[in-house]
Amino acid sequence: MSAAQPLKNFRVLDLSRIWAGPYCTKLLADMGAEVIKMESLRVYDSHRGPVCPAPGIAAYPDSDPGEEAWNRNGWFNCLHMSKYGITLELTEEKGCRVFEELVSISDVLVENFRKGSLERLGYDYETLRQIRPDLIYASMPAFGNSGPWQNYVAYGIGQEQLSGMAHMTGYVNDGPMKSGINHGDPITGSHAAGVLLAALRYRRRTGRGMFVDVSQQESAVALIGGEVLGYQISGQEPERMGNHSPWYAPHNAYSCAGEDRWLTIAVTKDEQWHRLAEAMGRTELAGDPHFLTNEARILHRRELDQIIAPWVADKDMWDLARQLQRLGVPAGPVLGGPDLLVNEHYVNRGTFNYIDHPRVGPKWYQGFAWRMSGTPGQVHWPAPTLGQHNRQVYGELLGLTDPEMDDLESSGVMGTKPTGSRII
Amino acid sequence: MPGLLEGVKVIDFTHYFAGPYCTKLLATLGADVIKIERPGSGDPVRSLPPFANHRLPGESGAWFLYLNTSKKSITLDLKSEKGREIALKLIEGADIVVENFAPGVMERLGLGYDNLAQVNPTLVMTSISNYGQTGPYRDWKASEINLYATGGLMNITGEPEQPPLKEGAPLAQLGAGQNAFVATMTALFHAEDTGEGQQIDLAIAEYATNVLENALMQYSYSGVEFTRVGNRGYGRAAWGIYPCQDGFVGIIAGPDQNWPEVSKIMDSEELADPRFASRQGRLLNADEVDALMLPWLLEHDKVDIFKAGQEHGLGFSFVAGMQNILEMEQLVARNYFVDLEHPIAGVLRYPGPPISPDRNVVDPWVYRRAPLLAEHNLEVLAGLGFDSRGVEQLFATGVI
Repeated sequence: MSAAQPLKNFRVLDLSRIWAGPYCTKLLADMGAEVIKMESLRVYDSHRGPVCPAPGIAAYPDSDPGEEAWNRNGWFNCLHMSKYGITLELTEEKGCRVFEELVSISDVLVENFRKGSLERLGYDYETLRQIRPDLIYASMPAFGNSGPWQNYVAYGIGQEQLSGMAHMTGYVNDGPMKSGINHGDPITGSHAAGVLLAALRYRRRTGRGMFVDVSQQESAVALIGGEVLGYQISGQEPERMGNHSPWYAPHNAYSCAGEDRWLTIAVTKDEQWHRLAEAMGRTELAGDPHFLTNEARILHRRELDQIIAPWVADKDMWDLARQLQRLGVPAGPVLGGPDLLVNEHYVNRGTFNYIDHPRVGPKWYQGFAWRMSGTPGQVHWPAPTLGQHNRQVYGELLGLTDPEMDDLESSGVMGTKPTGSRII
Repeated sequence: MPGLLEGVKVIDFTHYFAGPYCTKLLATLGADVIKIERPGSGDPVRSLPPFANHRLPGESGAWFLYLNTSKKSITLDLKSEKGREIALKLIEGADIVVENFAPGVMERLGLGYDNLAQVNPTLVMTSISNYGQTGPYRDWKASEINLYATGGLMNITGEPEQPPLKEGAPLAQLGAGQNAFVATMTALFHAEDTGEGQQIDLAIAEYATNVLENALMQYSYSGVEFTRVGNRGYGRAAWGIYPCQDGFVGIIAGPDQNWPEVSKIMDSEELADPRFASRQGRLLNADEVDALMLPWLLEHDKVDIFKAGQEHGLGFSFVAGMQNILEMEQLVARNYFVDLEHPIAGVLRYPGPPISPDRNVVDPWVYRRAPLLAEHNLEVLAGLGFDSRGVEQLFATGVI
């Protein structure tokens, strides 16, 4: 029997695709919200990948897209567990009627279409409010629902650039660098999830729903707002410092024994510096005026790197990480996929979830983003295959009869096989 | 007009980045947040430069000013009996406690979840830490770079032949802080529905693992490790950051049906070569595609390139610095920035709400400047029934 989940009373109709919107609704679904993910057979969530992908793409199990590739893509499958998956064509009259019934029983509607897409189908906030007066409608175009760029599009990679994050990331004396993920997406998704919950709470107290305007760009700028103030204060654009810090030294990733093995060390207090000097067998450095205070160490950070790097170079990153941690020095190895899944700490905490997907088999997935002592997160089922819950949602939830659903299927308004796809 | 979270009471034991960002979101959405700081020095983020008006550390550090808007500050020596007593009294009347001490510190102060639940069974206690409240690395010391490393993000950022690279901004801590806000709201619903409080355990390193997306899934599904690829999207071509005349731009060559637009924008028949028409084709010929785009890019300005792409339906972008952001026509047109005046830092332009709930219904962002250290001692203690003599006594004995 499953324990109570905090968001079990909320139903979210989720028209969002790719990452920002789905990360928002994943956080909600993990905590028990009933999330109904609606896709189109013509334009399904592009994270499912192409209908017929080229072989060898590693996002599929054993790099084999296989049959029904759209149900076997790890990008998609890691973001949609415990969500109901349905399909519906809003370009069809019959589809619109079903959609309106779904809206009428939903608390929240989330979409991240290009601005105005839903409106062109006849559904702006005012229309939706006629159907569900206390609806909370989150619209998440890249730049928000007003302003000269409202019709522009952008992906997470673009938001890293337009928010200033990329500008301050990079090797010394080199250009800006993108991150290995697209930070803009989860940042927007998380902000949106929190504000939607705040809006639901407000609705509970006042009975009022509302329109929630999500600009992915504003979300990203808000996260690093301290840098925006810092620039006004200092008149200096943030510098690209590689792995150095404006605030502390030594602070870097040092090459260890083995191929592409690195240990990060960050000394933030004098005491930690003394311990590091001791570990290096160089206690005399602790009293060296070049390194006596944090300010002095920042000034001589390159000198520090030249001392530390050769000492680290032939050591095992794990041995050294543990040794430095025993001394209270902040140190952590750079971990990749193979390290993470077998890591003692993450295994001990159950950080990753092992989930059996019917078209994939059992695999590891990102887990819950936090632990709750009273109402832990739960995976109710793996990511839905395309249209998997059509009959359940339309039949049990909306009360459509079998002949009605047969008709929707035969007229192509719903189904489980894609009729097209548009992949970015 | 009230904010969304009007009436929610938060006692805030956080410092530096992760915790304060969580409580900033709560405070600026309208919750009443009382930040408890150490007498004398306060939140150590107060000491991180730059400082406005060339002042000394304390009140005018950029990140402090930003992360602590709309909060009240009181000082409290939590190691003193009286200080602990006052903290417990505040917590008794609160909905939420947020803290990001090292695991075990709150327990040692007599403020662990079990103690707090006794005085307030419906309390939501949000604990943010480097590696979580349990597990072998629970007590590991860490800074942003260490967490970016052990959380898997650093390994995949940077050039393959160069060291793994951290982000310029503390994104792991800030991201963990925003997820902590979502977690807190979730638990608040449960507390209000059932009367049951609980503790949230959020690890910053786990935030990093949670946003690895395909970088983790690819390895899980196929055993193929995701590697550093510099500025090109993984497994993609004509997708990433490129130099241009006055800076850097983001080129996004997709979806396939939009690729012909790129050759039109860049006025290059060679880019229209059918060999480049598909994502796979561009990937096989990535260097050639780059070489064909580069001369045009280097002759054009970043904003012009961005708009040329956007006008043709392509998700181009450009690398914006802080000045670009402050002047960005879209942000200015949406009245995004808010000017706040601070007695020591003066007037600065603050980024506005990350998400905008309807202005016709609520105040989307209840924005007040960050508090001076101990600014609200009198007000908050008066609320607990201390008169001015009582407050003086607390001050004289170093409790506040």
